[in-house]
Amino acid sequence: MKGYGHTAATLLFLTGLGILLIAILQALPFGLAPMQVGQAIVAAAPGDTGADNIVTAILLGYRGLDTLGEVTILFVAAAAAGMVLGGASRGGAQAENAGFILHSAAYLLFPFLLVLGAYIVLHGHLTPGGGFQGGAILAAAFFVPVLASPASPFNHRTAMLVEGFAGAAFIMIGLVSLVGSDAFLTPFFGKGEAGALFSAGSLPLLYLAIGLKVGSELAGLMARVSGAEAGA
Amino acid sequence: MNTVPQIIFPVAIPLIAAFLLPIAGRCHAGFGRIFGRAAVLVTFLASALLAWQVAGAGPASSAMGGFKAPLGIVFYADNLAMAFVLLLNIGVWLFWPSGDEDRSGPYTLLLTLLGGGAGLVLSGDLFNIFVFYEIVAVASYGLAASGGSAAGFGASLRYLLLSALGSSLALMGIALVYAAAGTLNLADLALLAPDVLRGPPGAAAFLLLLIGFGVKAELFPVNSWVPEIYASAPVRVTSLLAGIVSKLALIVILRFLVLVFPMPSAYGLLLTLGILGVLAGELAAYRARDLNSTFAWSSIAQLGVIAIAFSIPGPAGIAAGIALALHHAVVKPAFFFIADKWRGDVKLLSGGARTSPLVAALFVLLSLSIIGIPPLPGFWAKYLLLDAAFSSSPAYWLAAAVVLAGAVVEGAYLFRAAGFFYGGPQKGRGAALFMPGELVPAFVLGAVLLVAMFAIAPLGAYITSMAVQAADVPAIAAQILLGGN
Amino acid sequence: MSTGAVLYAGAIGLFLIGCYAMVAERHLIRNILGLVLVESGVNLLLVAVGFRENAAAPILKAGQSAGMMVDPLPQALVLTAIVIGFGVLALALALVVRVHQAYGTLDTREVARLMRVEREASGPGAAGPRAGAKS
Repeated sequence: MKGYGHTAATLLFLTGLGILLIAILQALPFGLAPMQVGQAIVAAAPGDTGADNIVTAILLGYRGLDTLGEVTILFVAAAAAGMVLGGASRGGAQAENAGFILHSAAYLLFPFLLVLGAYIVLHGHLTPGGGFQGGAILAAAFFVPVLASPASPFNHRTAMLVEGFAGAAFIMIGLVSLVGSDAFLTPFFGKGEAGALFSAGSLPLLYLAIGLKVGSELAGLMARVSGAEAGA
Repeated sequence: MNTVPQIIFPVAIPLIAAFLLPIAGRCHAGFGRIFGRAAVLVTFLASALLAWQVAGAGPASSAMGGFKAPLGIVFYADNLAMAFVLLLNIGVWLFWPSGDEDRSGPYTLLLTLLGGGAGLVLSGDLFNIFVFYEIVAVASYGLAASGGSAAGFGASLRYLLLSALGSSLALMGIALVYAAAGTLNLADLALLAPDVLRGPPGAAAFLLLLIGFGVKAELFPVNSWVPEIYASAPVRVTSLLAGIVSKLALIVILRFLVLVFPMPSAYGLLLTLGILGVLAGELAAYRARDLNSTFAWSSIAQLGVIAIAFSIPGPAGIAAGIALALHHAVVKPAFFFIADKWRGDVKLLSGGARTSPLVAALFVLLSLSIIGIPPLPGFWAKYLLLDAAFSSSPAYWLAAAVVLAGAVVEGAYLFRAAGFFYGGPQKGRGAALFMPGELVPAFVLGAVLLVAMFAIAPLGAYITSMAVQAADVPAIAAQILLGGN
Repeated sequence: MSTGAVLYAGAIGLFLIGCYAMVAERHLIRNILGLVLVESGVNLLLVAVGFRENAAAPILKAGQSAGMMVDPLPQALVLTAIVIGFGVLALALALVVRVHQAYGTLDTREVARLMRVEREASGPGAAGPRAGAKS
């Protein structure tokens, strides 16, 4: 009986919260938000950064520091998860290998995933996508084989090296730009021709660092969790 | 306008070191520890240099990426922000794990916490503050679990769930602010606030942000994680979270209140949560029989007192809040170190004064200061609060009465503990505890407290100037919007 | 119903369902799934805030000037928020693995009870071995 009372109270509370939120949102007309900063960015982004994809211009240019923070959060989550799982029993070796189809498909897919991931990372300033999306695909390229044959060891050492140096490279790019200008993370190199692969200054470099870092982090994280699960 | 690009160093140096630390730790056993300590030292020096510049030439700012204020992210450093960046640096140095372990995990997390915490108080952009808050949050989940006990994992998970829910609410608040104002820059918002954020959406946004950031600040409804985490995390982590990280979150809430939501409903909300925190915290602390959870609950109460101080409009309240926060940052970690040595029931303290007279004396000194007995620094901090409250509206007189009643309860449970120290038959436990080496940080903090007692006048003047600077909205807005490019 | 009403209703609905799963459910994995729902709801709200009727995606085509575009800023913020949510989720799952290993259950009340038992057992004794005390 007590359980039902608790559930009912929760439902009642949430209904009230919902009504409150609806009332608040009604005060904000949909589709008519002031978007002062958004409009200004749309107008200024091509001239400021040279990137065609304005979301990229925001992520790496206007709000590059947010992106550094975001990469840091992934890093610290992976480090904490690694520390938490560090003492867990590793049972990867006992887990069964996957069937023939998954096994061969995993290794067949590997080069394609690699190329696709690299393409998406490098074209982040031109088309939708970028370091995070491409990095996730790169991570999949290395993680799918682990799923197919859990016995095969995942090279955590290499992942850690790539992760560390890519992260440091992001901040170093930011600090290097401090020398030329008077602000952290100022884009340098020329803006180049709009739409070309080598354009938008140092933004593609930042995306490359993010892609490598996210790729190695995700792959390492998933390999660790799956290893610990197999052992549990 | 004062443009200082080095303002990024307190954030960039620890983060780059955190990225490289796992590699350094792998190169040579024990190297990770030294590498981490060196990084903290370098960060401290860079921060101290910046603080000195800011103290001399006035508040500084820098636009990240060279993108002007409302479009890009601007960092803003005044004396208040720099004081807490330095405090964080000193705290991380003092509470650096002492064990001879070679695991690089905790060191990496501490460095990230250092960089994230500095960004939290320096950033002048609503969403960027959220990002740095999440860095601090994730690092503290990891640190809370770093003790390696099963209870630590469980407590960390429950803390994570509560805190992540709070963060989502804060993000919703940010969405509301953006929908209403179309900008995320704090200075831009400060200029727009009187027009667009005065209505119900503004109040709702502040409530959501208050709940979200209140999780770390141990504010009233979202502090259920506190006793659990402080009981199961390593004492150095507890000291860092209770002593310093909670204050950073409160400083952020203060900035929101002063710059973005300077309206009576927002001040009233913070005041209410503060009063409830004091009442709930002190009563729970009185009921607790275990030394560690007594201090965990009293920490909630004392952060409630700081929230009350910040909810008094004007520089006087801010000054009282800063003084209380600094005092608490010195006293509380020392208490936690003592509690860690006498884990368990408060009765186990019995006769401790005979075997560890120095520890008992330290305990009494800290207790007197936190209750607010003159001439200790705690008295002056509380005096500032009462002075500010009584020269404000009648609602704050009630708050002042609650704070005084809280001090009485505080005195009751602290003297109960001191009574066990000095009276009662000796239990076996105290025998091997004559001034143990692990209590060194506690004694360092006690010494700081005594030194502060003789420097009350200059400290008070400095804190007041800090508060005046932090309350001067037009100057802050001008520096953020016009400086830095 | 207008697009706006659907989007806002979806965001609030996801948020409330997630809250329910976090508060009322007794299984840790369900609590975590609730957290994911809450985050999705908030992200949806954030994207909806930047929506404009009949506006283009914020990517410039060659030789075309910037016309009416949806607000790109919330899209960038949501990208950041999603990655943050992912990091937190991964850490939460890692902790769940260890909690399950230690206690053999994922029932929240059971875990809370076992944690209390463990703390009480370790409380007075924790300082014992280090301090070398005898009683």
